Amino acid sequence: MDIIGPVLVSGMTTGALYALATLGLSLVWGSLGMLNMAHGTLLTLGGYAAFTAASQLGWPVPVAVLAAAAVGGLIGALIFMLVAYPLSRRNPETFETTIMIATFGVALTLENIVLRLYGGQPLGQPLTVGGSISLGRFVLPWQNLVIIIAAIALMAATALFLARTKAGRAIRATAQNPDAAKLLGVPVARVYLQVLILSGMLAGVCGVLVSSITQLSPSLGADPMLKAFIMCVVAGLGNLPGAIITSFALALVEALVQFLAGARWGFPALLAIVILVLIRRPGGLFGRVEMRRL
Amino acid sequence: MAEPIGSSCLAVNGLVTGYDARNVLTGVSLSLNSGELVTVVGPNGHGKTTLLRAISGLLPVRKGSVSLNGRAISGLPAHRVAANGVIHVPQGDLLFAGMSVLENLLMGAYLDSDQVAVARRLDEVFSLLPKLAERRTQIAASLSGGERRMVGIGRGLMMKGSVMLIDEPSLGLAPIVIEQIYDVIARLKASGRTILLVEENPARVADIADRIHLLDNGAFVWSGEPAVLLQRDELLATYLGG
Amino acid sequence: MKRQDFAHLMIGLVVLAAAVALPFYVDSRYVIGQVTLGLFYAIVASQWNLLFGFAGVFSLAQMALFGFGGYATAMLCFYFGMNVWAAMPLAAAATVLFSLVIGAACLRLSGAYTALLTLAVAQVMYLLIVTDTDCFIMVGTQCRQFTGGAVGFARFGDLGTRAMFKTKYLVANYALVVILFTATMLFTWAIIRGPIGLAFRALRDNPGCAMARGISRFQMQLLVFGLSAFFTGLAGGLYAAHFNAIGPGVLSFSQLFFIIAMVVVGGIGRLWGPLVGAIVLVAADEAMREIGEFRSLGLGVIIAAVMVLMPNGLIGLCENIWDRLRRLRTRSPALAAEVSGDTPA
Repeated sequence: MDIIGPVLVSGMTTGALYALATLGLSLVWGSLGMLNMAHGTLLTLGGYAAFTAASQLGWPVPVAVLAAAAVGGLIGALIFMLVAYPLSRRNPETFETTIMIATFGVALTLENIVLRLYGGQPLGQPLTVGGSISLGRFVLPWQNLVIIIAAIALMAATALFLARTKAGRAIRATAQNPDAAKLLGVPVARVYLQVLILSGMLAGVCGVLVSSITQLSPSLGADPMLKAFIMCVVAGLGNLPGAIITSFALALVEALVQFLAGARWGFPALLAIVILVLIRRPGGLFGRVEMRRL
Repeated sequence: MAEPIGSSCLAVNGLVTGYDARNVLTGVSLSLNSGELVTVVGPNGHGKTTLLRAISGLLPVRKGSVSLNGRAISGLPAHRVAANGVIHVPQGDLLFAGMSVLENLLMGAYLDSDQVAVARRLDEVFSLLPKLAERRTQIAASLSGGERRMVGIGRGLMMKGSVMLIDEPSLGLAPIVIEQIYDVIARLKASGRTILLVEENPARVADIADRIHLLDNGAFVWSGEPAVLLQRDELLATYLGG
Repeated sequence: MKRQDFAHLMIGLVVLAAAVALPFYVDSRYVIGQVTLGLFYAIVASQWNLLFGFAGVFSLAQMALFGFGGYATAMLCFYFGMNVWAAMPLAAAATVLFSLVIGAACLRLSGAYTALLTLAVAQVMYLLIVTDTDCFIMVGTQCRQFTGGAVGFARFGDLGTRAMFKTKYLVANYALVVILFTATMLFTWAIIRGPIGLAFRALRDNPGCAMARGISRFQMQLLVFGLSAFFTGLAGGLYAAHFNAIGPGVLSFSQLFFIIAMVVVGGIGRLWGPLVGAIVLVAADEAMREIGEFRSLGLGVIIAAVMVLMPNGLIGLCENIWDRLRRLRTRSPALAAEVSGDTPA
């Protein structure tokens, strides 16, 4: 019974991180129909931005985290203005695939800029908390608790923003029916820009959290992004609540498999689950299969 | 057709538009004075919806012009046309399916930051369409066809605008529901609204329309009063299948 | 024969002539080696182009199939002492089976789902190989993993060209790759012009009618996926045999997108797009060797910029220029008679 504690701690922590990474990815997919292959790189940039702010410029921790969000949001905005917007204008029919290729190009570029600026060797993220709480045999490091709380707080804030504010309502409306939104005076392009900024900011902070339990490296965001893809697919692309539930559930499964069968079997187990789910439900667990009329 | 700009609320002059290489409209002109209800009738697939989409900026205007209260609005993107005061109640409702009725209505007031005015208009919409007040928290996707149409109209009424474009409000509804919808439209006209209405069946609009344009193959083939059109059996037979 | 086919045939003959002429004019082993590598890329890219540009399958498992072919060849030789020549077709057949399994699981889904799942399959394959540390057999005092682990396989047997042609063996290997490339292009062309291509055109132009006539998109896509996997796997096998080594590097993300970049730069859905892209990118890669550190960075910028600025690639750009020139010519009535109305593919 000694594995329950570690599995829970590890599963909940990675689950929170996956959920946060998935939220940004899913938001962009749901609004723009765009799979942002540079999402993982936004995580990386956030991690490095916080590192630079905190340990090289000596800024206080909250400012460093804000810096990470700002860098993520800025790059998100640039991706929209320089890549996604022109691509969607030029050929909307092929956008779904062309944007994946183009954003991968962006990811490759940004990742190499990070490599040039900081070098390939792993760096320690200074924003860490030491110590742990023990409840009997149950040990919960503060760091993990901070990550879980921060991620849940960010998700709650995003949910509130989307549900309660006018800008959030416009984002949801545009995602559901862009033509109708235009007819009501919603500047759809600006809404898309906001979505990419929001997603970039979430990714930036997520990168800080990820790097605080691992290490900073130029490929920091690759693994969370790949997992986030998996979560999105299982939940049904674009479904936000579903994506978050799936993230926690699959992270727990992954942690369990890793404890029982070894670390290398975690990802294959996830893939097996995805394939099984999609064979039964091609639109994902929470998704609806679109009926295409001919 | 050379009506001086400024005398009419909405003026469309020699409008040409279409999809890809094909022109769907080949030169359409019409004008609406304030408080008028003008109807465009015609068979399906001959450009009625296209006309409204071009006016509201969802489709680019290729030739000709559209102006609202004397200001040119052709060439503006759809959200700017809306900001200028064109209310478009689209075909098939285009509701925000995952949102509640109330949220759909509030989206109609997107451009209005005056909370008091928005609340007042919401009350007006609820008194005109009491069914919506009952269903305010219900998700749009779960409504019946008639209720959805009501939400579409109500959402348009939440906008501030000087002209309302309504696209086939009777489409796909049961006769009794169509009657209710036209009852609402008649009340809108009575309250002084300027309305451009697209409809397949001229008999339905005979009582409320000031003028009717018959659209066939991308151009108006007849214009005049509804009562006259209904007596022209040869027109009805040729263009509207009896 | 249609004009378009004739043009493709002419281009093909010119390319073949150039490929045959190359070793007679170029002595450098390095250049021959790089051209050989470029042709491997062009083969894999042409099959990805067939999948994406013609059949509409956005698969990210292309290098996984290539790697599977390579690994299968290497493992057949390594564990069963097979001859490379016997192992390659067997490995290609195994790749087809592998692709059908992947395809059955992934192709029923729509665009982005297919992409993500195939990517995940490729990534799982990569991770399982790289993290494999269990000893399978002992070679001397060294422990060998079943999948070769992070190092991969080496010296499992070669094509026999070294013994036959001595120092000229590189040219012989080059010739083999040219032959495979020619076969691949013929196959691709046959698919596009044949009944399968017709079915895809029908599915694109009128999906409802095509499906009513019993054309299943899924079955058609699976068929093309399996067929293209044969050449991809065969290329992987030849690659492993040529270098007498194969490692997990071929499965990496950047290799995959190098291939995709070639198709994008050359022109998606254009028969000669992958070759043009391979030539341009390998050349650009060579040019950027001087500024070594910035190679990947440059590649990333090229992918993003080409996608945004010229989505039909270099060939699409040439078609545009050609079209414009033709229109200019058609405007002068004297020349109008020469130009018959047939648009290039």
